[in-house]
Amino acid sequence: MPLDVFDRLLRPLRSRPVTSRYPDEPPDLPAAARGLPELDPVRCDGSAACVSACPTGAIRLSDPVWSLDAGACIFCGACARACPRDAIRLGRQIELAVLERADLTIERAWRAEP
Amino acid sequence: MAEPFATSDPLPDSTGAPSATASAGTVEWVAPDALGPRVADLIAEGGRFVMLVGLDERSVSGAGLAVEAVVGRPDGGLARLRAGLPLEEPSYASISPLVPAAHWDEREVKDLFGIVPRGLPDPRRLVLHERWPRGYHPLRKDVPAAVRPPDAERHFVPFDVRGEGVYQLPVGPIHAGVIEPGHFRFSAIGERVLHLDARLFFVHRGLEKLVEGRSFGAALPIVERACGVCTVTHAVAYSQAVELLTRTTIPPRARWARVLLAELERLYNHVGDLGNICAGIGFQPAVSRFGWLKERLLRANDALTGHRYLTGVVAPGGLATDLDPDGLAVLPETLDAIGLELASAVRSIVRSEGVMGRFHGTGVVSADTATALGALGVAAKASGLGLDLRRDRPAGAYEELEIALVTASTGDVAARFHVRAQEAHESLRLVREAARRLPPGAIVAPLATTPLAGDSVLGAAEGPRGASWIWLRAAADGTIDRLHLRSASFANWPVVAAAVPGNLVPDFPLINKSFELCYACTDR
Repeated sequence: MPLDVFDRLLRPLRSRPVTSRYPDEPPDLPAAARGLPELDPVRCDGSAACVSACPTGAIRLSDPVWSLDAGACIFCGACARACPRDAIRLGRQIELAVLERADLTIERAWRAEP
Repeated sequence: MAEPFATSDPLPDSTGAPSATASAGTVEWVAPDALGPRVADLIAEGGRFVMLVGLDERSVSGAGLAVEAVVGRPDGGLARLRAGLPLEEPSYASISPLVPAAHWDEREVKDLFGIVPRGLPDPRRLVLHERWPRGYHPLRKDVPAAVRPPDAERHFVPFDVRGEGVYQLPVGPIHAGVIEPGHFRFSAIGERVLHLDARLFFVHRGLEKLVEGRSFGAALPIVERACGVCTVTHAVAYSQAVELLTRTTIPPRARWARVLLAELERLYNHVGDLGNICAGIGFQPAVSRFGWLKERLLRANDALTGHRYLTGVVAPGGLATDLDPDGLAVLPETLDAIGLELASAVRSIVRSEGVMGRFHGTGVVSADTATALGALGVAAKASGLGLDLRRDRPAGAYEELEIALVTASTGDVAARFHVRAQEAHESLRLVREAARRLPPGAIVAPLATTPLAGDSVLGAAEGPRGASWIWLRAAADGTIDRLHLRSASFANWPVVAAAVPGNLVPDFPLINKSFELCYACTDR
């Protein structure tokens, strides 16, 4: 079909690049994006509901440290759903590369001053 | 002939059951050697082989092992035939000579339980490769999950075709591309393939053992991750089984959202696979075009659920997270644009004689072969078999939808391309309809009851590659006693091996991609 040929020839002229300028520009994350779980240290009361809800055992809790092993986290959001005080949400942090395995563990003091 | 075991599977009350697809059926105990003839009789009456599942009965009735054959009846019901076997030297007369569709199931049960189907035509190992020691059968209850057995010093003996001019061409398991591992051994004369031996199970992770003893909620992330591109299918099949076991009715919003998610999963798979078929002949412009369409669908998934591959949304009782309102709002517009572009991309392929010349008559599967080997999904429909759980055993909101069933008759690569293209358009329509009819309200209902120990049910969902089934039995403490996932890919791999002989060796990538099966959910 001649029309098809024209369509194929002209297509590149009509279309714009579909790639983004990441990392020069921030990624276009949807509102529902599930990044690294983030703890609100003020809301957390140390109930440890997240610890038992985590299917991979990525979360540990001691007094006063809440820790998350991002290398074990599967970003399922079970911790956020289990928290009785809505102290955890899956945030917008998606850049998780580190040089050492140990650096994948994130620690937060949960007994923060209000 | 009754076995001296009482059935531990009472009939569940049918009112309030989540769907017809997840169904318990009644278990009938039969003599081990009667299994084959009984299954063959049911199939002669119009039934379809669903699965064979191995069981260790010691955790339930305290005695021995068992095998259960599940057959789908023409009326949509399930026949479940179970044979009790002794712990020492368990064996029964193989059903594969009568029902070829069961031959991988029987090889798997032989590897994982040490149950020997006497007269099995191909008794080689399937799931556990030769490095696993003899006598190690990990799904038996007395085998600990966390203890690694010693490596055995045995070597793989390939299927041998001998004769003047026959040579063997080994391919894989490491391939030139980012694909899953499989070893394909071609026996060929000149460029024509005489026989293809597909050796998979390089990614066997023991998931069925891993979920034993876990709660229904804790097993979900594992079942869902059996493979990367059938997540909704497996999560829905599993959730339906749990809901039937616990007599739970899910909220209306979850019923419709599951349809929407299942159709989005079919859509991005089909669109991506149309591009993969073109990659099988190195037709790059089409690969890019379908690739970009798939990317747009993945981004729509991401906007809707926060996950490009829809993981972590479906859960027993309904949904784990609600669909994002912003993602829902832009969905119709995105789908309209994709529908137009998809139609144009498919048209450009169908009108290209160079491309269609490679598709026509390549990798032909006859209707008889597809029936005998138990082909499912696209592989079955392209050979003229009108099989689709969405129509044949509708579950959830599919009960309220009319599905236009797409079939083709030629059974070749062109037919599988055509079925995918048409199904993709039907899925676009179904996603739009589900989005329009999605009611507001709760997304999850608590599981209603604790299941009785030893209760077992089946759940199923029609995925992009066909029907995937979950067989699920509860333990006394409400955890999982046994779970078996029979994915559509597991059913279809033997069909691929049957499609290749007679074709040219360089047509294998094209034939393989026209099925585009998963290795991971086959291997588990």
